[in-house]
Amino acid sequence: MSYGRFLLKRGLQGIVVVWGVVSIVFVLRFITPGNAVDAVAPLDASPELRERIAAELGLDQPLYVQYLDYLWELLQGDMGYSYISGIEASSMVFSKLPATIELAVASSIIAIGLSIPLGVISATRRHEPADYAATTFSLVGISTPNFWLGIMLILLLSVQFGIFPTSGRAFGFVEAFRIAANQGVGAGADAFYQWLRFITLPAVTLGTYFTALITRLTRSGMLEELGQSYVRATRAKGLPESLIRYKHALRNTLIPVITVLGLQLGTLIGGAVITESVFSWPGLGTTLINAINTRDWPILQATLVVIGTGFVIVNLVVDAVYAYLDPQVVAE
Amino acid sequence: MSDKDSPDVSRRKFLGFAGAATATAVAGCGGNGGTDTDTDQPGGNGDTDEPTDTPTGDDTPTERPEPETRDGYLQRANRVAHEQAPWVFLNRQYSVYGKSEDIEWQARADEFIDAYAISPATDSGDDVVINQSQMDSGLDPQDHRATPTDNIVMQAYEKLLDRDREGAILTSLAEDYSRQEDGVVRFHIRDGISFHSGDDLTPEDVAYSVNRIVDPDTGIASPQQDQLAGVTGAEVVDGERAVDVMSDGLNPIVFSLFASYGPIVNKSWIQTNENAYINQNIDGTGPFVLETYEQGVEVVFNRNDNYWKEAADISSLTVTSASESSTRVNSLLSGEADIIVNVPPQEVSRIEENDGSSIAATPSTRVIFNAMRYDVEPFDSPEFRQAVNYAIDLESIVQNVLSTFGDQTAQPTLDGFFGFNGDLDPYPYDPEQAEALVEESGYAGVEVELHTPVGRYLNDVEIAQAVAGYLDDLENVTASVNQRDFQALAGEVTDGDIETSPHWYLLGWGNATFDASQTLIPLLKSDGVLTSWSNDEFDRVIEEAQSMPSEQ
Repeated sequence: MSYGRFLLKRGLQGIVVVWGVVSIVFVLRFITPGNAVDAVAPLDASPELRERIAAELGLDQPLYVQYLDYLWELLQGDMGYSYISGIEASSMVFSKLPATIELAVASSIIAIGLSIPLGVISATRRHEPADYAATTFSLVGISTPNFWLGIMLILLLSVQFGIFPTSGRAFGFVEAFRIAANQGVGAGADAFYQWLRFITLPAVTLGTYFTALITRLTRSGMLEELGQSYVRATRAKGLPESLIRYKHALRNTLIPVITVLGLQLGTLIGGAVITESVFSWPGLGTTLINAINTRDWPILQATLVVIGTGFVIVNLVVDAVYAYLDPQVVAE
Repeated sequence: MSDKDSPDVSRRKFLGFAGAATATAVAGCGGNGGTDTDTDQPGGNGDTDEPTDTPTGDDTPTERPEPETRDGYLQRANRVAHEQAPWVFLNRQYSVYGKSEDIEWQARADEFIDAYAISPATDSGDDVVINQSQMDSGLDPQDHRATPTDNIVMQAYEKLLDRDREGAILTSLAEDYSRQEDGVVRFHIRDGISFHSGDDLTPEDVAYSVNRIVDPDTGIASPQQDQLAGVTGAEVVDGERAVDVMSDGLNPIVFSLFASYGPIVNKSWIQTNENAYINQNIDGTGPFVLETYEQGVEVVFNRNDNYWKEAADISSLTVTSASESSTRVNSLLSGEADIIVNVPPQEVSRIEENDGSSIAATPSTRVIFNAMRYDVEPFDSPEFRQAVNYAIDLESIVQNVLSTFGDQTAQPTLDGFFGFNGDLDPYPYDPEQAEALVEESGYAGVEVELHTPVGRYLNDVEIAQAVAGYLDDLENVTASVNQRDFQALAGEVTDGDIETSPHWYLLGWGNATFDASQTLIPLLKSDGVLTSWSNDEFDRVIEEAQSMPSEQ
């Protein structure tokens, strides 16, 4: 199979997955207790008012009509309107996407920046204090629940020492750039500083588990590679140890690490729900929680579809990179 | 204490002998809590503890003198409810806020955070930040029914009438109001008021605003239609700066409704803009002007310097939200927020112990209760329903589960509301009496299950567990709790069919009209939208009450 055909096949599979997500999310609405009209109508609303609201929301149509309408509109990029606020679901969800992507990327940078050196150090200094420190860190990091870590960081660094704000997001990365462009370097620097103050705690909270995971993965991968015969051969050839470790062993270690990174990035886009909630980070996670609580189905569907699509795209990219790094994958 | 069914007659008799004077004095408090009219005349009209005949007579409600006023009838309805116990009477919920020392502010009974009433106590109190549990559901003031949205939009929109902190009616955009005839009331509109866009407020705007709420053909199907219950429409009065509001029938509480509900919008602004635009912008007459709006994230207002009253004391107001209560508390402790809502009891000490913050708690307009369906076993027996009330130690629940952030109740209506019956005391904790009543009801050995929403009201699950626990402690009843999703539970209760409701469920009911009828009718009258009860005497006294005007 050529590389192009491989990508095409994966892409088609991705479309089927997205369609599955869309359909399951649509069906979920009808098996979840509590209907949308109850969420919108006041407790003491009369049956007439309920019927009127149902008609206004299009809920009086048969199920298959609603489903086909929904699919057709989705294909045209129309995700409907919020039951609660009447705002276009797509604009609402896409306006939250940057905050979530920012957080996912920031926490990934923290994770990659910390975990790969930690993993390498840990593997190359096996059974030394540095190794024990790194493995202890990764064990604690994996075992610590996000929400607890977030609350503790807030209590210590925000409430106690006042270094970081407790919650929220002043503005986005892009807005900070805009400020820098419009108001000069001084204002721009200040904007970036503010941006950094708000994103640090949630990014650290979200990144900790991820850091710990990749550290363990890098460590075990490195240990495995360093035990391979090609490493012994290169050592015998007299190559410097640093070259053996970083050019040969680490490179091979990175293949599974990239897979996990990609999967995790997908998870981060959708899985930051708890962290976003603890920090009131105005991203997809918070939107999702609010939509669930208010049974705002168009927003809920739009959020899940965007998260699902994001996950599929990220995986597609990972597959592509993976196949590029390891041609055996395509051959299969 | 039931006059009719309970063996606890001695206490009743005692009240009958000794209590007439005291009892009426207490009843007098009932009407004082801020309705437009206070018809409760000492010693006469209320539903007192004094039966017509002598205290030795058969002590039944029917032998009490027929009330003469609306207040009297509503008090009678509350008495019937107390005696027949269609509910387990629980607590009046408190609104518990955290407040920074940078501002001066007092919480209101109706849960609205009125930023106009905030004044700075220090220099940093000039820019106020409110952190609530949810953001708005769009800025159209007539297309929502939630307190978090009110806390945002009603800083910039106003109503014809208003209320003070305790609930007493004040004039607002209407400078004067009067009843013209049955079903028609007239509001005289204040002159010299303009919207934030610069347009002048006209009677046409007022009439349009009312019609947009009550008439689905005017603009939107407003979920506030039921808030202006009975109102059918409004029209401008020729030659006067006034609007006539028409109701179906007498509508005794019409002024009360307009003091709590009915925001006034700019007709031309609404008509020329799309719904989505109206949901993201504001053109009101209120003390704050919208500066920026980021849906679901943050709303910023600036002081309206052209306000028709004195401009607000604070120069800017930011409303933001955090669904996690600990996040809100942290934002207060770190000085980022000045007011935070819904402080759970376990977080109170952190706020109190911190320099620069304090707790502001006030009784809300919400009553928490357990409804018991009258049409199913064992709750079809008044004795059994009374037994449940005797079985629970309500005082302990308020003390321990609610950390005293609650008041015990004895009737559906809250103290301070029009129609509150001051003679009724909460059922005492008396497990022996409860067991005896269960025996009497014939349902000894029965198993019951209490359905409760999770996290909808202050410590709702804990309250339900305490209630079921107390009942389960009785020798002859087994009780348990079923934790439910609120939307699902509400769906069953509100679908207009009593058959689909759980047999026994915990619910809270907010009533911002400060009038007993808006609790009694929907929840307990036979044809109420979410009723769990049917009682002829109760229905009769309510109908009598609703045929009389509230004001005189």
